[in-house]
Amino acid sequence: MTHEQVTSVIIKHLVRSIDELTPETVDVKKSMKDYGANSLDIVEVVSASMRELKVKVPRAELATITNIDGLATVLLRVWNEKQAAAPNGAG
Amino acid sequence: MSESQGRVDVSVASGIVTIGMCDVYGRNALSGPFVEELLAALLAVGRMADSRVVVLFGLSDVFCAGANLDVLEKVVAGEVVPGDHLLSKALLDMPVPTIAAMEGHAIGGGLALGLCADISIIARESRYGCSFMNMGFTPGMGSTRLLENVLSPAIAHELLYSGERRRGADFEGRSGFNHILPRADVRSKAYEIAERVADKPRVALEALKRVLSADKRRAFEETRATETLMHAVSFGEGDIRQRIKDNYGQ
Repeated sequence: MTHEQVTSVIIKHLVRSIDELTPETVDVKKSMKDYGANSLDIVEVVSASMRELKVKVPRAELATITNIDGLATVLLRVWNEKQAAAPNGAG
Repeated sequence: MSESQGRVDVSVASGIVTIGMCDVYGRNALSGPFVEELLAALLAVGRMADSRVVVLFGLSDVFCAGANLDVLEKVVAGEVVPGDHLLSKALLDMPVPTIAAMEGHAIGGGLALGLCADISIIARESRYGCSFMNMGFTPGMGSTRLLENVLSPAIAHELLYSGERRRGADFEGRSGFNHILPRADVRSKAYEIAERVADKPRVALEALKRVLSADKRRAFEETRATETLMHAVSFGEGDIRQRIKDNYGQ
């Protein structure tokens, strides 16, 4: 799993939540709010991304993230930690 | 006439009664004081002899968010008996037609409340769903049956099981919501309908309302007992307290 792959998962779920947003126009340095996402849109995008990547990030940690790139970094880190804990691919 | 009590605002003009849920501080979550104030407003409006139609709306970004954290924790702990189903009942029992203008999100008990109205309008950009099961307990406030008034049973059941909060736009072409509009147009559409209804005689409106709402009121009464029993079972299980905290940490 690469940073780009995680980013594309997030963007896929973000464009589903916002009318007339296309993946290629998303700037990862921006917040989802900059694209008109409301608080519940963000909850759905984050939880859908976590489900797809099969990771769980504590709410307190999510609250400190400010842009899409930051979210990808945290999701990838937790994904890597999970792989390290289960080297045989279990879970 | 207009009287403001803080969290709920009631005004009347030409037979159209408007109930505005405007608890900006509490974000229209069903806190103890908010439920009390809203219930009093609904009951008072229900007694108005010259009303012909009722419009219910919330804040522009949140119609109603269901029970707040404090209330939910007390209910799960068995410290208080939930009184929010009385809101559903008060709206269902309104003697004249009711219109819910749900510009903002309506989640859980908030969606159930809106669906007690005879006519419901939602916004493309806002989200609607039932988060009860995300927190590990079964749905309440009549939602196990109320959703089926605007959604096919299949879609209603999917939302109840999954806890998904779906965008208004996603219901287009597959729901019985009266209108799905850009948020900015929801309220004006509600008043457009209200004006047409308010033109009719009160006696006729009252008679028709009683007949058209009979099935819905009966279904609500039946499901209330069932939902209470399911709560008794599901409140005692597993990691509900942590799930509730996680849900409200969002």
